[in-house]
Amino acid sequence: MASGSERTGVASQFFAGTEDAAIDMTTSEKVVDLLNQAAFMSTDDKLIALKQVQELIINKDPSLLDNFLDEMIAFQTDKSIEVRKFVIGFIEEACKRDSELLLKLIANLNMLNQCFSPWQKTLAVCGVGVTPAVFDSLRQWLVRSKSVSDMQEACWDMVTQMKGDVLALLDSDNDGVRTHAIKFTEALIITLSARTPSSEIPKKQEGDISLDKIPKDHSYIRYDVLAEEGKSALEQLLKFMVHPAISSINLTTALGSLATLARQRPMFMSEVVQAYETLHANLPPTLAKSQVSSVRKNLKLHLVAVLRHPSSLDYHSQISTLLLDLGMAQGDIARCVPTSAPTRKRPRHEPYNEGKRIKMEPTLIEDDEDKEEPAPVVAPKPSSSMGTQSAIDITAEFLLPLLSPENVANLVLISMVYLPDIMPASFQATYTPVESAGTEAQIKHLARLMATQMTAAGLGPVMRAYEKGEAAGDEAASKDPIIIRKVSAVSLGQAISVVGAYKSQVAEETPHAKKLPEPIMPSAQPKVLGSSGRKKVFRLADVVQPLSDSHLEKLTNMAVKRILQSEKAIARSGMSHVRVKLLARLMTQFEGTMKDDMLRFILEDIRGRSDLAFSLLYQEYNQHLDQLPSGSLDSYEHCLFTLLSGLQERPEQRDGLFTKLVLEAPLITQSALEVIRRYCEDESRVYLGMTTLKELILKRPSRQFQYLHVLLDLSSHEKEKVRSTALTFIKRMYEKDHLRDYIEKFALNYMQLLVHPNPPSLLFGVGEDTEVASPWTEETVRQCLYLYLSLLPLNHRLVHELAAVYTEAIADIKRSVLRVIEQPIRGMGMNSPDLLLLVENCPKGAETLVTRCLHILTDKVPPSPDLVERVRDLYHKRVPDVRFLIPVINGLEKKEVIQALPKLIKLNPIVVKEVFNRLLGTQHSEGSSSMSPLTPGELLIALHNIDSTKCDMKSIIKATNLCFGEKNVYTSEVLAVVMQQLMEQNPLPMLLMRTVIQSLTMYPRLGGFVMNVLSRLILKQVWKYPKVWEGFVKCCQRTKPQSYSVLLQLPPSQLAGVFERCPEMREPLLQHVRSFTPHQQAHIPSSIMAILEVNSRMQESQPEPEHMDTMEEREVKNSTQLNLWICIQCTK
Amino acid sequence: MPSHPLRVAVVCSSNQNRSMEAHNILSKRGFDVRSFGTGTHVKLPGPAPDKPNVYDFKTTYEQMYSDLVRKDKELYTQNGILHMLERNKRIKTRPERFQSCKDQFDLVITCEERVYDQVLEELNSREQETYQPVHVINVDIQDNHEEATLGAFLICELCQCIQHTDDMENEIDELLQEFEEKSSRPFLHTVCFY
Repeated sequence: MASGSERTGVASQFFAGTEDAAIDMTTSEKVVDLLNQAAFMSTDDKLIALKQVQELIINKDPSLLDNFLDEMIAFQTDKSIEVRKFVIGFIEEACKRDSELLLKLIANLNMLNQCFSPWQKTLAVCGVGVTPAVFDSLRQWLVRSKSVSDMQEACWDMVTQMKGDVLALLDSDNDGVRTHAIKFTEALIITLSARTPSSEIPKKQEGDISLDKIPKDHSYIRYDVLAEEGKSALEQLLKFMVHPAISSINLTTALGSLATLARQRPMFMSEVVQAYETLHANLPPTLAKSQVSSVRKNLKLHLVAVLRHPSSLDYHSQISTLLLDLGMAQGDIARCVPTSAPTRKRPRHEPYNEGKRIKMEPTLIEDDEDKEEPAPVVAPKPSSSMGTQSAIDITAEFLLPLLSPENVANLVLISMVYLPDIMPASFQATYTPVESAGTEAQIKHLARLMATQMTAAGLGPVMRAYEKGEAAGDEAASKDPIIIRKVSAVSLGQAISVVGAYKSQVAEETPHAKKLPEPIMPSAQPKVLGSSGRKKVFRLADVVQPLSDSHLEKLTNMAVKRILQSEKAIARSGMSHVRVKLLARLMTQFEGTMKDDMLRFILEDIRGRSDLAFSLLYQEYNQHLDQLPSGSLDSYEHCLFTLLSGLQERPEQRDGLFTKLVLEAPLITQSALEVIRRYCEDESRVYLGMTTLKELILKRPSRQFQYLHVLLDLSSHEKEKVRSTALTFIKRMYEKDHLRDYIEKFALNYMQLLVHPNPPSLLFGVGEDTEVASPWTEETVRQCLYLYLSLLPLNHRLVHELAAVYTEAIADIKRSVLRVIEQPIRGMGMNSPDLLLLVENCPKGAETLVTRCLHILTDKVPPSPDLVERVRDLYHKRVPDVRFLIPVINGLEKKEVIQALPKLIKLNPIVVKEVFNRLLGTQHSEGSSSMSPLTPGELLIALHNIDSTKCDMKSIIKATNLCFGEKNVYTSEVLAVVMQQLMEQNPLPMLLMRTVIQSLTMYPRLGGFVMNVLSRLILKQVWKYPKVWEGFVKCCQRTKPQSYSVLLQLPPSQLAGVFERCPEMREPLLQHVRSFTPHQQAHIPSSIMAILEVNSRMQESQPEPEHMDTMEEREVKNSTQLNLWICIQCTK
Repeated sequence: MPSHPLRVAVVCSSNQNRSMEAHNILSKRGFDVRSFGTGTHVKLPGPAPDKPNVYDFKTTYEQMYSDLVRKDKELYTQNGILHMLERNKRIKTRPERFQSCKDQFDLVITCEERVYDQVLEELNSREQETYQPVHVINVDIQDNHEEATLGAFLICELCQCIQHTDDMENEIDELLQEFEEKSSRPFLHTVCFY
């Protein structure tokens, strides 16, 4: 009957029945049929049949479940293990369907478990696998029913007992059973703990029972007891995990369970992370090499899973550290962090986390150090883990200073004894040489590793304090051993097993020690667990006392100082950036002297410690930003100010650190600006300072005017170098459009100060508000003008402002102004339209200014036609002051010059001299004199021709004297030409003879020429011009005896006139004539002779005037001949 | 000895060479075996190392075969790819992706560490339902024909040993240690739960 074909038949029948209505068989009939057949089938077939039944009565038609339950349960006595296993599965499914059934079935289940688990491992495994589900159903049912019957109570007890049984299986000597026990524990913990909002809930288990669904006032189930149970289950699990001889499989299972727990019950997060940490540092020594890598891989996997859970946020640093140790890249870790989670960590832990993470990066400091310290492996105290965390930190801090090379060496030597003969695989797998041994970072790490071990063992300052109920004192640490030896023999034994020595002892009898796991109950445990079942929760606040303020401050100071002093050691380890960051952060949190200490420290070697300086500065600024809007800048300002002042006061400093600091500072405060100003005022650094300031102006647009103002201020600085540098920079900046207005305004404002009767206090320094009644000095006037004048050549328009100020200023200032404008005006040049406009407009009161400008412009170069035109206009139309013409005189036309001459020569002699210089081109060496509208000769002639009504003779004479003074210009030739021309004029100029005499005095060799002139004058009847005639006579008088021949040419009456004026001339002349040859004497008219010879004859000559005229003409002709002769004589 | 034959999955990255070779041998020895790949695509060597032939998991071995014949019959005959596909299509129609298969196994054997990691990740990311354990073991095999054959035999031997244990859960740890020593290869091993 139980043949293969039959079976197929049944199966097909079954399937047909579900789909095909043709074979009309009720479900109930089918079940009966299957059960009947199954009773006689072989195990395999039986199982198939039973599975079909299960399908039918549970899923297809649950109403039948009750009917066939007993029949199904009957199979529990089947010989085959597989069948019995199936029955357990069936019970599970049935209970899920109808939890009421559990009441009936629980006993059976218990029986199955009871009788099988001790010897039939496989079945037990199966049972364990199933139980959580049963357990769940049971609890669901218990929760729902409000009234509790005895039956239910009994049932509950049984479940509890079963639970205990299964938990006991954690100690089973069957690896597989233990594996399942672990899974059971996991399910149990999840059930016996409350779901929280951050719990991760698998979809299929959504409806599953958990502690939070149990009403707190349930009549039979006590919420808190269950919660305790859950916790103790977790403890058992954790304890199991740190068992030194745990098998690889169990360990991986437990790791997975913990991950699940952490994710589904985040309140256990800290315990889980702690357990992972402990495990990582203490991999069981029994593991083979490949197992170690498997476990590590698992650890990594689960850590990542935990990391992804949002509740792990607080443990990210620990997890990251672990993952880094496990060889995961930093980037990959970061990718696993849930993005939705806020990245800010708890601020209190931040500095530590920061440092630690960075510390781990460059070198993976492996946990070989823990071999040095034979710390016992003890189950961590899960419920007090928050306390443990801090305890580790405290212990680590405590250990740190004690880890001197000496102490460490001792520790190593002592622990040598405990080392195993064979290197444990876990050690081998994870060992990498310690690269940074002896560095601060590595010592810290070591301290932390030791602290983890010690805390786990219940040792260390916190534990001691916990015991004694007092805080760990500072000085106690230095003189007393740190560890209170309360390690029992048991834990010592474990300590050995950590490093595998235990294994080597027992290896001969039991090569695989993991087969005999003995749960180890460390002596430290009971205290935590407590006999009452209530754990004493560790709270840091209970065991420590706050330090006194002064003590606290002292400690803080010392700590900071240590960090400061450790500069070199840290630099060697390449961790300086951590130190810098740390210091910066610390500093900003403390007030008082520490900051100053630090700043002083930085300034001692600012070059080497600039990174610290910057870091600090930024941190301060950050702090300020954090406190916005209420926060003050004081702290930041102080920091910046001190740094800058320090730099400023340092004598030698060329590397531009000052500039760098200024430019990189996030904000330049007023006081900082003052320092910069001081820096700029230092003559030796003025260029660097100003360059910095310029950069500031250009690169910090938001406050550029503030900076610019400083630079502008410096432009009137008393030190010449500072001033000129500032001006150079400003000029460069003036080219920028957006700065131009400001600079201009500043310059003009400053210049505007000149209109005040007294220099305003502004000029004497910023602080002094009092009006200083001192008078303007050259210096103060200049101060107001430096900037303006340097801008003037760049922007000619400004010149009008000067004119405006000038008109209002007092005379002293005017003089100073006239003195200082030379350079800029020359820079502007005479083609500047604005300058021309100024000349054209010439504001009232600014005439002197304009004149000065004109002078400056034409000083070296001849005036341009444009300029001349403006001046001419000005002169003719508005201000008829001849002085305007002087500068442009060379640009005027000849006629104009001649016209202006009378006025010009009436001016101050100095001015007249200048005019002549200009006209004669004697003031400058270049050949610009050729530009003069008048030749020297013409000038002299013009002077002679000045209408005496327009100008007094005295001025004219002075003017001619000036001409004669210029010997270089008025050479004998020039003078000869002048005389020639003057002589030809009609009427004769009044000063003619004066000039002749003057010329003769200057150039005696002109004598001949002068004689000639005199002769010509006779022809022009010189006696008709009284003044000239006078001069003529004087000249003759001076030039005797040469003039005798000229005198002889005079008509007799005139000659007589001469003798009237100078009677002493007659005798010599007579002698002269007598010395003539007789032939020559014959040429002398008798009338002349008569005058010469006798005084009485003069009367005789008078009655014949007509004759005289003819006589005269003849005589003149004669005299001409004579004259020529004389000339020949002279030239000989 | 468990009553039912061991349900074995052999996993490599493309479900072509190593896993299929093992699949071939294990199924001949009577194991309940399936094979998978964990990659996102099926990759076969192309004309150059940087130009592989890429298919998705829906493509049948037959289609790949004809595609490669069309592309360069000579080349793919010479490097044995066609021969491999020929064998593969006799075993099953197309490659399967491990991540897409929700069936349960007792033993998953992976052929390289990366695949092992992917399998672990997949298994751990699933929601636990039955608490049925599955052992995942990695056996490093280089991806070439010779190594694949050698590796397949090793996997087969391993499976046979596991099959013959009285209590697999209990003994697998030890067994693997022995095997490691014997083959002088390290095995990664872990247990996951469905």
